[in-house]
Amino acid sequence: MIRRVFRVLLVILLIAVLCKACLVKDMPDYTSNNSQNSENKQVLINYPAPKNVTINGVDYLQSQAPVGKFGGELISSTIGEGPKTFNPFNSKDNTSSTMAGIMYDGLLTTNPITGQPAPKLAKSYTISPDGKTYTIKLRKGIQWSDGKPITADDVVFTWRDIIFAGMGETSTRDSIVIDGKLPTVRKLDNYTVEFVTPKPFAPFIRMLSTPIAPKHVFMPAIKKGNAYFDSFLSTTTKPADFVTSGAFKLKEYVPAQRVVFERNPNYYEINTKDEKLPYLNKLVYLIVGDLNNEVLKFEAKELDIISLQGSKVARYKSVEPHSDFKLYNLGPDTGTMHLSMNMNNRKDDKGKYYVNPVKQKWFQDKNFRQAVDYAIDRKNMVLNIANGIGEPLFTPESLNSIFLNKNLKSYDKNLNKSRELLKKSGFYTDKKGRLFDKDGNRVEFDLYTNAGNTEREAIGVMVKQDLEELGMKVNFKPVEFNSLVNKLVSTFDWDMVIMGLTGSPLEPNGGKNVWLSDGRLHIFNQRTPAEGKKGILPWEKEIDYYFTQGALATKFENRKKYYDKYQEIVYDEKPFVYIYSPVRIVALRNKFKNIYPSNLGGITHNVEEIYIGDNNGNN
Amino acid sequence: METIKYILKRILQTIPLLIMVSLISFFIIRLSPVDPLAELKLNPSISPETVQKERQRLGLDKPIIVQYGKWAFSFIRGDLGVTSTGEKVSQKLKERIPNTLLLTSIVIFLTWLVGVPLGIIAAVRWKSKTDRILTVLTSIGMAIPSFFFAILLLMFAVKTGWFPIGGLTSPNFADMTFGGKVLDIAYHLVLPVFVLFTISLAGLQRQMRGNMLDVLDSDYVKFARAKGLSENVVIYKHALRNAVNPMITLLGFEFAGLLSGAALTEYVFQYPGLGRLILEAVLKSDINLVMASLMMGAVMLILGNLIADILLIITDPRIRVKS
Repeated sequence: MIRRVFRVLLVILLIAVLCKACLVKDMPDYTSNNSQNSENKQVLINYPAPKNVTINGVDYLQSQAPVGKFGGELISSTIGEGPKTFNPFNSKDNTSSTMAGIMYDGLLTTNPITGQPAPKLAKSYTISPDGKTYTIKLRKGIQWSDGKPITADDVVFTWRDIIFAGMGETSTRDSIVIDGKLPTVRKLDNYTVEFVTPKPFAPFIRMLSTPIAPKHVFMPAIKKGNAYFDSFLSTTTKPADFVTSGAFKLKEYVPAQRVVFERNPNYYEINTKDEKLPYLNKLVYLIVGDLNNEVLKFEAKELDIISLQGSKVARYKSVEPHSDFKLYNLGPDTGTMHLSMNMNNRKDDKGKYYVNPVKQKWFQDKNFRQAVDYAIDRKNMVLNIANGIGEPLFTPESLNSIFLNKNLKSYDKNLNKSRELLKKSGFYTDKKGRLFDKDGNRVEFDLYTNAGNTEREAIGVMVKQDLEELGMKVNFKPVEFNSLVNKLVSTFDWDMVIMGLTGSPLEPNGGKNVWLSDGRLHIFNQRTPAEGKKGILPWEKEIDYYFTQGALATKFENRKKYYDKYQEIVYDEKPFVYIYSPVRIVALRNKFKNIYPSNLGGITHNVEEIYIGDNNGNN
Repeated sequence: METIKYILKRILQTIPLLIMVSLISFFIIRLSPVDPLAELKLNPSISPETVQKERQRLGLDKPIIVQYGKWAFSFIRGDLGVTSTGEKVSQKLKERIPNTLLLTSIVIFLTWLVGVPLGIIAAVRWKSKTDRILTVLTSIGMAIPSFFFAILLLMFAVKTGWFPIGGLTSPNFADMTFGGKVLDIAYHLVLPVFVLFTISLAGLQRQMRGNMLDVLDSDYVKFARAKGLSENVVIYKHALRNAVNPMITLLGFEFAGLLSGAALTEYVFQYPGLGRLILEAVLKSDINLVMASLMMGAVMLILGNLIADILLIITDPRIRVKS
């Protein structure tokens, strides 16, 4: 009997040791992952951007990529239950926006390499020196898929009668209201449109990539009012009823199975032989319920392209040389995973502090926040959680942002520095290594994240370990997503949280809800609408200033200076301790040519130029 | 006449039952901590006004009892409402129901066609080699979880390339001839049908075997044999008619499972049926869609039982006498 108990204990001990060994830094693993990483570095190929040409009075966009063969199809996938609508002005989710984006082009697009605005439906654009007037020249002679011309009337109609009028989903409208006023739009002649913003507002240029609607199709729907518009061009609309400007138009939608697009014969882009693009006949999106099924479908060759999760990359890498696909490293993702401390020092309606006053002192102490930052082993997390497919992160702007402040250096875990900083603020450790503050309170707090997100849960476990090396006691509590959001935006009763927010690599102004001191998602020091800017800290005030100025400035260089400043402050004050960004890896079949992977645009940003060649050859 | 009266009575009884079901489901969904707006609230590019507008549109700013009243009122008028993304619930269900029915009715047809005879054979040849082999096979069928079996088969499909990885039709389905379409659907149905068939066959065969063994052991069968009737007449005329009664009740439950019984398998095979739709709806707390599916489940169950009872009246004279 005793022997049996002993054996069980031995097994438990063995498992515990194994687990510990897996979590703690694992040197051999590091080297193997590292070598794999280096051969899998992001490769940037120079993308020949399309140019404007005029042939017989028609202003075409001309692809500068090698001429390819016509025909064939590209089968991609979308996770979830598929699009909810095909109306670009009603879409509230990513899938719907992607589908609508394929069919409807905007005036401008983004150069996938430089991130600067590039012409699409517009031939050219100019911004007046005062930064308020945008003059857009349209292409002459280009047509909708039904043969009707695309003119200034369509543009004015889209902006005035759909977007400014608040039809459908209003987030575009919400983001361009400046001091309660909307920009104005005016037709100068059939092919010229002018936008005027009430104040200089640099982010407006990005808004011009909003799809343009065909007036002759949307006008009757608009007249029937908002309720009708909400169900206009839904998933039950016949594919033949779509009149589009994009490279592809809808051919078939089968609920929960697939969306099929076919080439738009009236598309305005041509190749250097003056043949109309796109090359592909069909673009198919399979609607796949979960990631595992997507992987199986790719392996069974039902899919041509797949985005890979960290854990799967190693296996795909090993089979890549003798397979028909190639892996592309697109560089760091836009996601910014971070650890945040609740710096709220205010009371609720009942006069009770949101955060325990003892803990408040720690979280409001810059030394404490920096000590936490130095104690976190980002490299180890990248290796063990993201399987080496990630980059440590130190800035609020994502690593692929064109506004990233490159002067802010990364550093490694440094426990000595952490201890030094804590000592400076009067923290001390007892003989058992437990950390106390200068008033003799044991440093103990809760760390939250949303349960079910395995990546964040794993980060939580490692953060807990790292901080316990400093003698802090961390109670790691994964809670249900909705309860966590409630804590963050309504009840404010949390100590420390691991969260991720999405951002744009092109436009930092989208983060104003997070960074402005009265923002709706200013979670590290959230104020209620009634509190306004109450108790604003000096550096919060500075961030407010740089954010407001950044939106007002018009030149990229000037804007960058303001946004560099705000990143410096965040880097120094650590309201958010950034952890890492995952790296995006995509596998694509070799038969597709004209592939120019880019961090900002992904791999199919030039889908109209992609064609199917023979299987050999590298590009 | 008696039968019609009985049916009417049963239908009237279902009304309070449905009200109870709807009340309980509605309140449980609404009282769960799932906030349909949580995703929006955490998106930096969404303004507070938009969040507020969404709350009003979904009716979340009203007390639960008012929300329930609104739902119940439109439900009675036959309007199932719209999903949280603004699509018609009836439309969404209409898209999926035929697919699910196709799958489940094929499975039920096949299992009854094979399961009942196998049960009879096993009972008649009790403790023979055939019976033992069938017992082993059905035990495996009952023991293996459907989702696990489905995943195994999917991996088999990936390795061999003999079968498609889920779905119901191929991407070029629209361009096929009619015969090609039928073959394509049949090809996609092989694996999901096989999974569901194996699992429900096991239960059905065991049930039939058990019933038959009971009956074969009874006095009147012994008497029939003693009378010198041929074995075929004893089994198929006297024993089978009595053994089949419990199976009819079972058929009623099978009817209830027509729409909801295959959800797990549907999910693994990415089958475009109701299972995936409802799962997503529950995760997002899409109340109208979840309520519609729950009510549908309840109605199907009640209807299934009713049909089984009516069939019993027809097949079993004893019940007719009692009522």
